Amino acid sequence: MVVALGTVLTLFVGRLVQLQFVDSSTLAAAATVSLYRTDPLPAPRGSITDADGRVLATTVDAYDITADPYMFTPGQAHVDDAPAQAAQLLSPIVGVPVATLAKALTSTGRSDRYALLARQQSPQTWSQITALEAKLTKSAWSGHCLTENNLALKAGDAGRVDEACANVLNGVFHAKHAKRVYPDGTLAANVIGFVNSDGVGRGGLEQQYDSLLKGKDGKVTYAQSGGREVPTAGQRETAAVPGSSLRLTLDRDIQWDAQQAITDEVKAAGAQRGYVIVQDVTNGKVLAMAASPGFDPNDLADADPADLGNAALQDAYEPGSVSKLMTMAAVLQQGVATPLTHVTVPGTLPRADRVFHDDVAHGTEQLTLNGVLAQSSNIGTMLAAEHLGSTQKQADQVLYDYLTKFGIGQPTGLGFPGETQGILAQPGKWSGSQQYTIPFGQGLSVNALQTTSVYSTIANGGVRIEPSLVAGTTGPDGRYVPAAAPKQTRVVSAQTAKTLAQMLQSVVASQEGTGVMAQIPGYLVAGKTGTANRVDPATGRYSGYTSSFIGFAPADKPRVTVSCVIQDPVNGHFGGELCGPVFKQVMEFALKTLQVAPTGAAAANLPVNW
Amino acid sequence: MTAPGSWSAGAGYRAARYAPRRGTVGRLIARDSPLRRMDWILALAALALSGIGALLVWSATRSRTEINHGDPQYFLIRHLMNLAIGLGLCVGVVLLGHHRLRTIAPVVYLLAVLGVLAVLSPLGSTVNGAHSWIVLGGGFSVQPSEFCKIAIILGMATLMSARVDAGERAFPDDRSIVQALALAAVPIGIVLLMPDLGSTMVMVVIILGLLLASGAPKRWLFGLIVVGGAGAFVVVQLHVLKQYQIARFAAFADPALDPSGVGYNTAQARIAIGSGGLLGKGLFHGTQTTGQFVPEQQTDFVFTVAGEELGFLGAGLIILLLGVVLWRACRIARQANDLYSTIVAAGVVAWFGFQGFENIGMTLGIMPVAGIPLPFVSYGGSSMFAIWVGIGLLQSVKMQRSMTAG
Repeated sequence: MVVALGTVLTLFVGRLVQLQFVDSSTLAAAATVSLYRTDPLPAPRGSITDADGRVLATTVDAYDITADPYMFTPGQAHVDDAPAQAAQLLSPIVGVPVATLAKALTSTGRSDRYALLARQQSPQTWSQITALEAKLTKSAWSGHCLTENNLALKAGDAGRVDEACANVLNGVFHAKHAKRVYPDGTLAANVIGFVNSDGVGRGGLEQQYDSLLKGKDGKVTYAQSGGREVPTAGQRETAAVPGSSLRLTLDRDIQWDAQQAITDEVKAAGAQRGYVIVQDVTNGKVLAMAASPGFDPNDLADADPADLGNAALQDAYEPGSVSKLMTMAAVLQQGVATPLTHVTVPGTLPRADRVFHDDVAHGTEQLTLNGVLAQSSNIGTMLAAEHLGSTQKQADQVLYDYLTKFGIGQPTGLGFPGETQGILAQPGKWSGSQQYTIPFGQGLSVNALQTTSVYSTIANGGVRIEPSLVAGTTGPDGRYVPAAAPKQTRVVSAQTAKTLAQMLQSVVASQEGTGVMAQIPGYLVAGKTGTANRVDPATGRYSGYTSSFIGFAPADKPRVTVSCVIQDPVNGHFGGELCGPVFKQVMEFALKTLQVAPTGAAAANLPVNW
Repeated sequence: MTAPGSWSAGAGYRAARYAPRRGTVGRLIARDSPLRRMDWILALAALALSGIGALLVWSATRSRTEINHGDPQYFLIRHLMNLAIGLGLCVGVVLLGHHRLRTIAPVVYLLAVLGVLAVLSPLGSTVNGAHSWIVLGGGFSVQPSEFCKIAIILGMATLMSARVDAGERAFPDDRSIVQALALAAVPIGIVLLMPDLGSTMVMVVIILGLLLASGAPKRWLFGLIVVGGAGAFVVVQLHVLKQYQIARFAAFADPALDPSGVGYNTAQARIAIGSGGLLGKGLFHGTQTTGQFVPEQQTDFVFTVAGEELGFLGAGLIILLLGVVLWRACRIARQANDLYSTIVAAGVVAWFGFQGFENIGMTLGIMPVAGIPLPFVSYGGSSMFAIWVGIGLLQSVKMQRSMTAG
């Protein structure tokens, strides 16, 4: 009895010696490898919606399907053609060709432990894979297969395992990789922007508001052994703070209509690009900002990198005649003239080192100031602007002050990534001809929103409201926080604004006006055409045109400003011809969408000639 | 110099004469007092094991906030409470005496069988795959299969020794052996259905020990081994065992089979023990223990705490103390005055021995994994109570022998 006891005791102590002395160095090394691991808990990115909460950008669960090629080697998988078998099974689920999958799964060496099979698959795809894998596991663990497996493991002979017992999907894994989805595709893509493959905002509002949208990642710390979590060890978790959601001022329907209209017109005119901006004049909110050509943020791989921006804010161009409104505003506000002031407009006007013409050649005309604007006479505008000061220098300074107050050469206040503020030189630095061209909109550059804002300022009774794109944010607590109220500044008096609105009606309403194609039945429309010589950014010289039309309606009780700009058209170039119809379509739609009733007022009908 | 014999007789005479007048202290220090007659080496070894167990359980559960309710001493206090109750039971058994237990053996047996039956009823709960617990509420639960071991020892010893101790026979006859085996078969069958494979194995080994000690014909022993083997085969074929239980044996056969699955526990146990070295990393300083890499470390895998934190010296000490307990128990069994006492003591030897070596063996990777606690050391009330009742039986056997011999 004692002998038996002694034998057993010796056996146990011997094993203890083996473990703690002979094998101890390898086991101690294994102990240090089994330590803690911290994994990030990604915060869900906030969504972006239009003004009515309709989703424009959101984040959905998605999984990258990955694999460990080592586990598909014959020694691990117990079959010789595990990559081919697994590829055959996975291909219909993930929609990747069998050959591609088989190649990815084939191990290239002992250190080849990772293969990306398919990116950002839906949760359904992953559950299909797990269901398939579970089925294989079940058969591999059946009584019959268990014995087979053990026999093979002991003998170290892979070939002996019954093929039905092998689980070829054992080495397939998944990694959570949230996917940004833009349900409406190209709609407002220029404004919303896009995220890169890591989900970081890299364009548009996604970039500008990235830190707000992305929230704060949490983390989980757990004990791990061999890369797997130790289930009994518990874990420490810092929860992720979800990103805030962004509510835009955009109206999805108006945005869609604007995008449709400008896309069709850019195509028809063979133009390089074009943009439409719709702004609510009562609060400065941008209701639509469309650009063509655009892109689909869901599919950046197929997009032209040149189209990934937002041209409506990033293009600086010479506005041309639409700028005359500001000259007129200065002239009226300074009391230099009234709409009925007689202006004798010669066919040509030599100033500085040049002889100036109007777009359409004419003899000496007798126009009212109203007529100068309606017929968009450069010479008439120059003559009026000369009266802003007793010397040309003073006149330049006065005009400059007005332009600046209208927001020209200033940031729009949106802070949009890559936004341009245009170029407006200091008046002292205006060249000889520049001081005569700036009154009619050449020799300075703007972005489309700046000029839109000028018309909204007149429409709003002379008070400029800084434009906005974001209406508010909804934090992780679900509370909606409206954006700060926009800055308001008075530029001209309410009376001046009212007079200017009447003059702008003549552009559209009078037979001699340039903007007759912008007429909308039932509504009084105020607007101005622009046909500017365009500086080709590639050469720095004038080449082609910038055609535009900006206006608001109803003219006597303004609600919406719509601007249309088309760059470098081939078929036609007059602003009224190209942008008038776009303005009409978008304005009509916007008025209906906003349920603005016609005012029924009579047109102002200021005289054009004297 | 006085002759030893007369000195001895004189002392005996005085003791007898003054016995009725002795006070409490006098009785306790007298030569024939229970304290003098008990096996002190056995008692101290058992106490030492329990004390080491308390430290190891404490270390294993200090940082497991998900089970210790935020109180680092939660398991330590309970382990010590269990030990106190166990000591109380031990003293009770000694005071009662194992011979008097023979008369109430049927009651003990009936209660134990009802207990395991209750586990199979809706009263029972499943812990770690084994349906072998009755949750009493308030954080307490009992495992009736632990008390079944005592019932089987007492019941079989009573049946097999009855005619031998009466002087009718030299060794147990076939009829009493059949009766005794039938008696044991009932609770074993129920425990196997739970399925509590570990406890079933312990009980079968106890029966083997009892038969061996009883002097029963060797054919019974071999017969039982053959029947046991055939039974194991049938059990596997009838799928009584769960998949995980089969997998454990597969993992034992090949430790590298699935180190993050069925082989996880043994792999981590070996890492913990092996990283301890000669002196260990120090109590409370084991990285594997603090990191909670070994599941069930306060119960079935408590030996790994010793291996890692106390090293070869601490782990070896546990094996040594267990050896001392078994050595003393064997001595008591051999020196018992009657067959009943011998069988009872031998049953306890088989019980402690198998549990101890199976438990340590599985953590060392030389035995397959089965849910069996390490006597004295593992955390667990039912086990602790039963173990100390076993010590009580051993001491009772020892003291009655000393009394009659003295």
